[in-house]
Amino acid sequence: MPLLEIRNLVVRYGEIEALRGVTIAVEQGQVVTLLGANGAGKSTTLRAISGLAKPASGDILFDGHSIAGLGPEAIVRLGISHVPEGRRVFPGLTVKENIMLGASNRKVSASQISREADAMFDLFPDIRAFSNALGWTLSGGQLQMVAVARGLMAKPRLLLLDEPSLGLAPVIVQAVFRIISQIRKDTTVLLVEQNARMGLSVADHGFVLETGRIVLGGKPDELWGNEAIAAAYLGGHAKTHA
Amino acid sequence: MDLVLQLLFTGIGIGAVYALVALGFVLIFRATNVVNFAQGEFSMVAAYLMVVCVELGLPYWLSFVIALAGMALLGVIFNLGVYYPLRHRTYLPVIIATIGASILLSNSVLAIYGPQPQVLQGWFDTPGIQLGPVYLDSQYLLIIGVTIFLVLFNFWFFEKTLLGKKLQATSQDKEMASLLGISVSTMIMITFIYSAVLGGLAGILVAPVLFVSIQMGSTIALKAFAATIIGGFGDVAGAIVGGLALGVIETFGAAYISVPYKDGFAFLVLIAFLVFRPQGIFGERVAEKA
Repeated sequence: MPLLEIRNLVVRYGEIEALRGVTIAVEQGQVVTLLGANGAGKSTTLRAISGLAKPASGDILFDGHSIAGLGPEAIVRLGISHVPEGRRVFPGLTVKENIMLGASNRKVSASQISREADAMFDLFPDIRAFSNALGWTLSGGQLQMVAVARGLMAKPRLLLLDEPSLGLAPVIVQAVFRIISQIRKDTTVLLVEQNARMGLSVADHGFVLETGRIVLGGKPDELWGNEAIAAAYLGGHAKTHA
Repeated sequence: MDLVLQLLFTGIGIGAVYALVALGFVLIFRATNVVNFAQGEFSMVAAYLMVVCVELGLPYWLSFVIALAGMALLGVIFNLGVYYPLRHRTYLPVIIATIGASILLSNSVLAIYGPQPQVLQGWFDTPGIQLGPVYLDSQYLLIIGVTIFLVLFNFWFFEKTLLGKKLQATSQDKEMASLLGISVSTMIMITFIYSAVLGGLAGILVAPVLFVSIQMGSTIALKAFAATIIGGFGDVAGAIVGGLALGVIETFGAAYISVPYKDGFAFLVLIAFLVFRPQGIFGERVAEKA
């Protein structure tokens, strides 16, 4: 049984149908990457899983149980942590406070959370020095580290990462993806990326979304191998790679 | 010089009341992005609760506890009845609902108690103490003492506790807070309870100094609102500094310029700030905290 199974998911924003029957499965222990152009429905898929967007029809099963229609607070308590687009680090709180609040879905003492947050800096040594800096003072790369660290504090069974490479310098993107390949040892990851090369480099499986529908799915090699589709959906890098 | 010290004491005392109400304004504004126009009525209702309990013959401290408990309950009802049903709408319907609640509260009290102002005795039997050249009125001492305690409590609560951090996170980004498992509706409920109790405390403390009347809420709230703008809207430290400054300014204005225009000085300062420094004393910090 897959850890996460999405069946025929339809999500509407008013008149607009953002997702028109999406079906994907994420197996326990995998990194699955969702690729697609702007507006294809990648973020909407993650928002539906974490409860920010309400499904119009279809179902979302986590561990075999339907979570469609539950609120975000309930879903994160089940073990799905969503690191949304734009990092959304609280600007008026410090780095450590931001990370500590990531454990709000679990019933643990404040001192325990503080210790866990300190331990999190072992995985993210680049932001250790900014522990007491306020969120708004950080650079994009640092914000991304804080956002992922905060997402991991939930001790998720499934981590949803939305465009972690967006707006970052290539060297920072590599650092972020190094962290993703470390995370995957303990956590199942559903990754949304526009950067197809990076997105597939860490993935066990990939899906391509186009205007609200899955048009292609398979192992990264298969996706790269399909030249026409790679050129159309995976961006300019595809030709050189394929 | 003696007069200056005396006026300073009185000004800080009355300013502390504005500061408490202003703090209530700011906390609700930061949590919901809405100015609560019924914040002053919280003070008025609490003062009347106090009058009722004291007239029933209850001890002063018990009346105090009951009045504050009543305010906590009013905070819950206010949240569920005024804010919660409109929480997904824009700020405008919510603001209008708070104005409606303000009218409802003052007219309910008017219907029950009539238009005659009531008198509430102070907490202490001794009217005050003479300290050198300055006479320290016991009620003003109490007001200042409680305000100092609450400012320290507020700092500790918001800066040192995890719950305080969750409240801050909620006020900065509700959707993200909910993604982390923070119960946004609970956080907003706590904010309303806390703000109602703060407003209530201000009303109970200032009641023996003023009369207890239907209008006392709107007078205090207008001054407190001016204080939040002078301090820097949305800023906690700004609310406190603005409140104290306003109390001192109007006390000195009344003593040295004109007693009948006492209430005017606060708004003169407000207008001056709106023209020359609209972001208020701590304006820049607002942008950082937003």
